[in-house]
Amino acid sequence: MNLNPMEQFAIKPIFGLDKPLLHIGGHPIFFTNQALLMVIVAVASALFLTFAVKPNRLVPTRGQSMAEMSYEFVANMIHTATGEDGLKFFPVVFTLFIFVLCSNFFGMIPGSFTVTSQIAVTLALACFVIGMVIVTGFVKHGIGFLKLFVPHAPWYLLILLIPIEVISFLTRPISLSVRLFANMLAGHTMLAVFGGFVVALGSAGGILSVLSIAPMLLIVAIMLLELLVAFLQAYVFAILTCIYLNEALHLHDHH
Amino acid sequence: MAAFRTWETVLTAPDPQRLTDLGKRLDELQTKQAAGSKRPPPNQSGIAFRFATELVAALIVGGGLGWGIDWLFGHFGFHTRPAFLILFFVLGAAAGIRNVMRAAADINAEIANTRSDKENGS
Repeated sequence: MNLNPMEQFAIKPIFGLDKPLLHIGGHPIFFTNQALLMVIVAVASALFLTFAVKPNRLVPTRGQSMAEMSYEFVANMIHTATGEDGLKFFPVVFTLFIFVLCSNFFGMIPGSFTVTSQIAVTLALACFVIGMVIVTGFVKHGIGFLKLFVPHAPWYLLILLIPIEVISFLTRPISLSVRLFANMLAGHTMLAVFGGFVVALGSAGGILSVLSIAPMLLIVAIMLLELLVAFLQAYVFAILTCIYLNEALHLHDHH
Repeated sequence: MAAFRTWETVLTAPDPQRLTDLGKRLDELQTKQAAGSKRPPPNQSGIAFRFATELVAALIVGGGLGWGIDWLFGHFGFHTRPAFLILFFVLGAAAGIRNVMRAAADINAEIANTRSDKENGS
């Protein structure tokens, strides 16, 4: 029995694929448990959403209703955060939201692996979002997008303020990714720690074994909390994407 | 679809009073849902966590940028290390405080929003 609470985050090759699949620039590429979970999440969510709306009934089935609700939820979110012209980005935001949401939920299955508890994954997603924001800004406003970094201030303060604004902008991918990663990491570590308590108390014998029911009940409560966090973090990730896109689209100054 | 009504129920005209009631209830529900679909107000630990990440992330970015610039200059034979590291670390701290102020303004606006919603709703 492994009681190390961080054990669950270990990335390792699976299916006995100890040899790298291929090399990219001298770096070996393995098919790991993380890669497997990402494939499962992507395929499962795509298949579910495709087949859920297949019946296309006026009175929706449970699956169709779930798919329609998530569609409307994301569409409303984009509409309130960015307005009409942000809806062009619906496919991207919807994909991001569903991927993060499903990753978080698949991670809640005992014994599985939480993709979003890896900073590599969340940072890649966040860099993609910020990259998209920058490209959108330059396409929409040309060089005028750089006005985002120029606050209203006398010129001698601008020397100081522009670097600060640039750094503040570059902070976004980090705070966006760390928020998701840290929340998932903390939640799952907590679950594993309390799970360790159950095992330790249970194997202590005597009255202590009876006491092991207490952390067990606590795990149930934390599990429910984690389900909420899983949804909330996916939501936060998606809404922040919308807010950043809104800034790039409308350049409205928040100073 | 399979469990549809029999002829009698389809042919009898629906009670107009019940229909308007249903319409009213639907309208009420929809306005309630529209008000509730805004961002849920963040809890205390969420706010604290957000401020901490904003501040630390800005320090990391600032320090990293400074270190990178020093490295780049060192590459071309200018030994500026650690001048830019120090400068950008300080700028990063300033940017972090700017981020926190902005986040605080956002949260204040959100709380004001939910409050005015509640007052309007009751």
